[in-house]
Amino acid sequence: MPANKELSAALDIEGTVPIHSVQLDAMVVLKIVKHCRESVPATVTGQLMGLDVNGVLEVTHSFPMPKNADSEDLEGSQYQLQMMRCLREVNVDDNSVGWYQSTNMGNFMNQSLIEHQFEFQQALSKSVLIIHDVARSSMGNLNLRALRLTPAFMKLYKEKKFTTDSLAKAKLTFSNIFEELPITIRNTALLNALLFELETPSESVEISASHLTTYKEKAAGASAKKSVLEPSFDMLDLSLDPYVARNLENLMDTIDEHHQEQGNYAYWQRSVERENKKKAAYVLNRKTENARRAQAGQAPLPNEDVDSMFKFPPEPSRLDHLLISGQIDNYCKQINQFAGPTLGKLFAVGELQK
Amino acid sequence: MMDNTSTLHLALPAVHTVASATAPVSTLAQPRAFSTSVNPLVFFSILDHYLRRNAGQDRVIGTLLGVRSEDGAEVEIKGCYPVPHLETQDQVEVDMEYHRTMFELHKQVNPKEVIVGWYATGADLNSYSALIHDFYQKEVSSFPAVHLTMDTALTNERLGVKTYVAAPVGITSKAENCMFIPIPCDVKYFKAERAGLELLASAKTSESGSTTLLSDMDNLERSVIEVQKMLERVSEYVDAVLAGTVPANNTVGRYLMDTVSVVPKVDAAEFEKMFNSHLQDLLMVIYLANMTRTQLAVAKRLEKLM
Repeated sequence: MPANKELSAALDIEGTVPIHSVQLDAMVVLKIVKHCRESVPATVTGQLMGLDVNGVLEVTHSFPMPKNADSEDLEGSQYQLQMMRCLREVNVDDNSVGWYQSTNMGNFMNQSLIEHQFEFQQALSKSVLIIHDVARSSMGNLNLRALRLTPAFMKLYKEKKFTTDSLAKAKLTFSNIFEELPITIRNTALLNALLFELETPSESVEISASHLTTYKEKAAGASAKKSVLEPSFDMLDLSLDPYVARNLENLMDTIDEHHQEQGNYAYWQRSVERENKKKAAYVLNRKTENARRAQAGQAPLPNEDVDSMFKFPPEPSRLDHLLISGQIDNYCKQINQFAGPTLGKLFAVGELQK
Repeated sequence: MMDNTSTLHLALPAVHTVASATAPVSTLAQPRAFSTSVNPLVFFSILDHYLRRNAGQDRVIGTLLGVRSEDGAEVEIKGCYPVPHLETQDQVEVDMEYHRTMFELHKQVNPKEVIVGWYATGADLNSYSALIHDFYQKEVSSFPAVHLTMDTALTNERLGVKTYVAAPVGITSKAENCMFIPIPCDVKYFKAERAGLELLASAKTSESGSTTLLSDMDNLERSVIEVQKMLERVSEYVDAVLAGTVPANNTVGRYLMDTVSVVPKVDAAEFEKMFNSHLQDLLMVIYLANMTRTQLAVAKRLEKLM
C-alpha cells in the first residue's frame, strides 16, 4: 500500500524533521475562539492535540483547561489525564502537541508563559503555542499566531544564564526569542458541506416548524429568511480610537517597565564600576608597595587572590529586559499593522464624501 | 416512534416559569414557543465526531451542553461532547459512565453550561432514539430535552440540521412511546467567532479545503471588493427597474431608501477638518511607533557591541 508506506516514512523520520508549519482543524479554531471569548478578559489556556506529519504539525483537537489550574498542580494534571483518556475512547488523537492561550491586544510576553512553553518544549520537542488575540479578532479579522521558542533561547533558558555576554554569544535578541510558524486552517469535506449549507437560506426548518409557531413569528420568519453567513463588514469599521488608545496605553506601561529595567541595569553597572575602581586602586597600591619593598631589598608581599577580595554583584538577569523589549516591539508592530488598513479606510471615506 | 396522523393531538411541552414549575400543567400561563439556537462549534464537533467514528458504525451520538433562558423557553446550545454507544439488532447501549465523567470535566471549565439534550447523526429517528431520549430527559429533569439530528449521509444533498423535543404519546407512558416534534432552530455566534467562521468559509471553495490566515489589509480588501460587488448588483437592479424590464418591488425600494438615508450628511469643511485631524493622529502614532522600534533596534545593535 503506497499510501501506508508514505505515512510510515513520514512517521519514521519523525524526530528529525523540524516543524515548519502548523495546520489547525476548523473545529480547533472555533473551540479556541469560543473558549477565549467566553472568559474575556481573563487569560485562559488549553491543550492542543494532534500529530506531526513530515514537518507539519496537525492540530486536530483541543480542550480547555480549567481556570486557576496549572498543569503542574495535581488537580490540573488529573483533569488533563482524565480528559485525554476520555478523548482516546472516542478515537481522538491523544497526542499532546502544545497549548493555546488567549491574549488581549497581544500582551503575552511574560515570564510564566515562557516558562510554560519551555517546559512543554523540553518534554515534547515538537510543541507549539497558539496565541489567540480576542480583542483583535473581534474587530473582524481572526488573529492567531503559532509560536515556538528558538533553540538558542531554549539553551540559554536551560542554563538560566541571561547575562549580556551569553546573550551576545548566542546572538539572542528580543526578536528571536520566538519563532513564528505559518498557520493553515483545514476544513474537511463534510465541513465544507456544512458551510455551504449555512450559507444557503434555510427554508426546510421554517416550513417544518411553521405549523407550530404563531402567526406573528411566521411572518417574522418569512421576512427574515436569510442566510446564516451573511457578509459582515466589521472590517470597514472606522472607529480606530479605542483600539489605538488601548494599544498606546499598553505600550506606555511597557515602556515604563523598560525604563525601570534600565534603571536596574544602570545601577548594577555603577556598582560594578565602583568595585572595579576599588580593585584597580588596591592593585596599584600593591604594586607601589612591592616596588618600594624591592628597593628596600625586602621580599615582595605574598600574592593574594585579588579577585576574591572584591565582590562583584551578579549581573541582573537580562531575560526581563529581553521580554519587555519584545513586548514593545510587538505593540509597535501591532500599531503599524493596524494603521495600514486604517489609512486606507480613511482615504476611502474621504473619496466617498466628495 | 408512532405515525403522525392528522387526528393525533400534539402539543409542544408547556413551558412553565420557574415559579409554576412546582405546580405543573398550567398550559394557560402563556406558553412561549420553544426555540433553540446553536453555536456553529456544535456542528463542527459533531462532524468531527462522525468522521472519527468506529469502523462499521453508522451513527454517533453525544451530549449537548448549553444554557437555558430563565423561563426555559429558549435553549442556547453552546457545546457538545461525544458519547460512545453501541446499537445492535435488538438493543442499544450508551456509555453512561463516560457521559458522566465528561460532564464533570466540562463542568470544571465551564460551570454555566448544563446538559440540554443530545445529538445524533443521520436523518431518521428510530425507536432507539426514543430510548436514548428518555435517558436524556431524566438528565435534564424538569426541562424538555432537545434532540438535534444532523444528516451526515447528505440525503437530499443537504446536511439537514433539525431539532426536536419529545412529547409522550400513548395511553400508558412508556419510554419508547414518544413523538418527536420539530422545533425552530437558528445559528448564533459572536463577533470574534464570526471572524473565525468567515475565514473558514473562505476555504470552502478551495480544492484542498485549507486556508491561511489573512492580514488585516487583505481582509479589508476583501470587504471592499464585496461591498463593490453588492453596490454593482443594487445599481444593476435599480437600472433595470428604471428601464422597466424588472417590476419594481416596494419592499426592496424601502430597504434601499433606508440604506441611503443612513449615510450622514456632513459639511464639507467640517469633514475636511475631521479627516485631517484623524489622519494626523494616525500618522503621529505610526511615527512614534516606528521611532520606538528604531530605538529598540539601535539598542539591540549596541548590546552586541558590548
